[in-house]
Amino acid sequence: MWKFVLQRSVSAVFVLFGVSVLTFLLVFFTPGDPAETILRQQMGGQTPSAEAIQQFRSDQGLNDPIPVQYVDWVTSILQGDLGQSYHSDSSVTQLIIDNLWPTFELALAGMAVALLIAVPTGVISAVHKGGRLDYGSQLAALLGLSMPNFWLGYLLMLVFAIYLSVLPTSGYGTIDQLVLPAITLGTGMAAIITRLLRSSMLEVLDEEYIRTARSKGLRERIVVYKHALRNALIPVITIVGLQFGYLLNGAVIIEIVFQRPGLGRLLIDSIFARDYPIVQGLVLVIAVLFVVTNFLVDVAYRYVDPRISFEGAPK
Amino acid sequence: MTYDTSDKTRRTVLKTVGAAGVVGVAGCLGGDDSSESDNGDGNGGDDQEDRDRSDQNRVPHATIAINDDPTRDDWNHYGGVTPYWTNILEPLVWVSNEMELVPWLATEWEQTGERTWEFSLREGVQFHNGEEVTADEVVFSFENILDEYVWAPGWLHLESGNIEALDTHLVEFTTTDPFPTFPGTIAHNMVAIQHPDRDHTEDRVIGTGPFQVEEIEQHQEVRTSAFEDYWNDEPILEELTFRVIEDPNTRTLSLENREIDVALAPPRSRIASIESDDSLYLDRQSRPGAGYVGINIHKSPTDDVALRQALNHAISQETIVDTILEGVGDPGRGPISPIIYWSAHDEITDYEKDDDLGAELVSESGYDGETLEILVANDLVDGREMAQVIQGSLDGIGVNSDIQVLERAAYSEAERDGEAHLILKESGSNSGDADYIIYEGFHSEGDVNQRLYEEEGTGLHNLGGEVDDLIEQGFQTGDEDEKAAAYKEAQQHIADEAVTIPLYYSEFIAAAHENIDGANLGAVPQFSRWTDLEHWE
Repeated sequence: MWKFVLQRSVSAVFVLFGVSVLTFLLVFFTPGDPAETILRQQMGGQTPSAEAIQQFRSDQGLNDPIPVQYVDWVTSILQGDLGQSYHSDSSVTQLIIDNLWPTFELALAGMAVALLIAVPTGVISAVHKGGRLDYGSQLAALLGLSMPNFWLGYLLMLVFAIYLSVLPTSGYGTIDQLVLPAITLGTGMAAIITRLLRSSMLEVLDEEYIRTARSKGLRERIVVYKHALRNALIPVITIVGLQFGYLLNGAVIIEIVFQRPGLGRLLIDSIFARDYPIVQGLVLVIAVLFVVTNFLVDVAYRYVDPRISFEGAPK
Repeated sequence: MTYDTSDKTRRTVLKTVGAAGVVGVAGCLGGDDSSESDNGDGNGGDDQEDRDRSDQNRVPHATIAINDDPTRDDWNHYGGVTPYWTNILEPLVWVSNEMELVPWLATEWEQTGERTWEFSLREGVQFHNGEEVTADEVVFSFENILDEYVWAPGWLHLESGNIEALDTHLVEFTTTDPFPTFPGTIAHNMVAIQHPDRDHTEDRVIGTGPFQVEEIEQHQEVRTSAFEDYWNDEPILEELTFRVIEDPNTRTLSLENREIDVALAPPRSRIASIESDDSLYLDRQSRPGAGYVGINIHKSPTDDVALRQALNHAISQETIVDTILEGVGDPGRGPISPIIYWSAHDEITDYEKDDDLGAELVSESGYDGETLEILVANDLVDGREMAQVIQGSLDGIGVNSDIQVLERAAYSEAERDGEAHLILKESGSNSGDADYIIYEGFHSEGDVNQRLYEEEGTGLHNLGGEVDDLIEQGFQTGDEDEKAAAYKEAQQHIADEAVTIPLYYSEFIAAAHENIDGANLGAVPQFSRWTDLEHWE
């Protein structure tokens, strides 16, 4: 197990190195001069003078050769400094910390909504395979998958805010402001998990030990929920883990529609503003989050079912 | 938590308030400049007196949803809140809805030498911390901007050390070169006067405006209260909250849900539904901006004036305004909005929609079927749809075109590199200095032409020679009539040579609840005034 952990850690370092090089290069190959874009934005659309652009470039070290800029960047990251935003005196680390919790909170709430919907629906669908409940839940899952997030967001606002007047349309800070974004985010994911859990349950329900359990005269409820569900959840854990990593990226559309702060939004805004230090720092942090989530999922996977082995890992 | 559900009963009551109210509502928030109110912004905003409010009570607070984060880090230098929209900070000079300069924290100014200006400060103006505004704070504020923003010295034509307090209420500015539009340039909220004790780490914004900061919720809202010792007309509201809701649909839904009272810039697609809702109304204000297609006059085949004139005859401005813009804005005739006093809107050549004439001009020109590139920025509202209408219209006279939508920064690069034939754009001034628009768009050394002009001696929309001279002449003169004459001639040349295809003149819109009165949308919307804002039950 420890060897496995070590191997994964080493590969993670390589992945992150690759990500850092790619991110760094990508932003420099993106059209649009950051100096001009940033200054133009600060001036409300007016044109900065050539001197101002030169001044900005030299202040920010943008005139140095790219390899020098990369080494400078990596050196400061290794010292725990992700750099400063071009726009203001805020540090990238601080901006990420400020936006991390709102995203985490939304991801957690969205995941809770998804599981609350998906687990019972997936199980019922499998148990009543071919029946009305199954078709109904499959249809709902299809709807959930195909509905664009922003559209569902507006729809929920119309129903819960405008017609029923029970929830606010947007904002951040209180529980009631979290409900609609969480439902919007959770629904799409619920659909994925429902379908996965259904097929996983169907497979497990066919296993011999289930027949054995039934033949022992155990109540169906115990068979389904204690014996079958537990094993059917294994692939679901992987998806939940990966999806959670994805959610931590920030569900940009949801953050924009519901006017919530968050990492996704920070990333998009920074890309459009050509605020490279934020883009680079954030992509690196997101890569770390992904690598760590994947790593944890693999470990959890192995923990839940010790029969699962990994290539190169001790059996 | 409960949300107001009493809308329908209120709506019924308001309906019975009478037809006079409806009339008042139609133009309630702006446009009416008949009132010479002493708040000096040339837009009295008291045209709602027709409305019978006798059975209603005033509510002391209101919430305005804006589409830009007022607490963005960019504003740390002002104490953490944007000087735009919020009326917390004020500049020395204001700009009226007719784009005229209005004395504000300075009562008068005078050009005392080729490069020197003296500004006399209004006496008795207090900062929110109770201290009086003196020349020292003005010097501090300018020095601070020069220090904080690398672009500020070039924009203001000032350098650190060139601002001097001559006495308590007299400041002298020495510009780096002769800069006749200096007062117009500083008629801008970015050069707001603030107290040196402002501190964004403690949410302390210290300005002179009618509203002062009570609380800042980062990236969410700024709550302000009326400043009792305000030097000008005191605000009617006791509290005013500025909430950021960037998504335009969400902003409108929040208005319908009564979470906010005024929604700035609702989406055009929602205009019909706002207008059909009795409890809401729409306000419009002309801006000093225009949408047009800039034609690259140095690239073949659009270097042919006959082809450019043909393109002009292909477009119906009315169709674009009525269909794509849902009636927001007016059909354009030139690239300069008629609310700018030197706009030659009424006098310059008008290319009317005429496909036959257009096709004839195409065959007269050297056009051989080449595809014209139309460049559009992805963030230009309805830009894609407008480009499609233009493409269809060009088809009508036998000209092929291809639309290229680029993200803003990439668009900006492609435009300046002269990669496209036609560039869909919206120009506008965001300060009292509207000279900027004609200089940056059409002078050889202006913003869009500069790069190619320096590299290859070409440009994009520049005619060079006489037009450059006329623009310089207008720019350098302090005399309004002389300026108007020079710019008019320049605009006539631009029209004759068909350097642009005018599309529309911009309007800014806001949606509000019917029980909100008296907002003054500014010609530069970011400078809108809220002191006359009233909220009724």
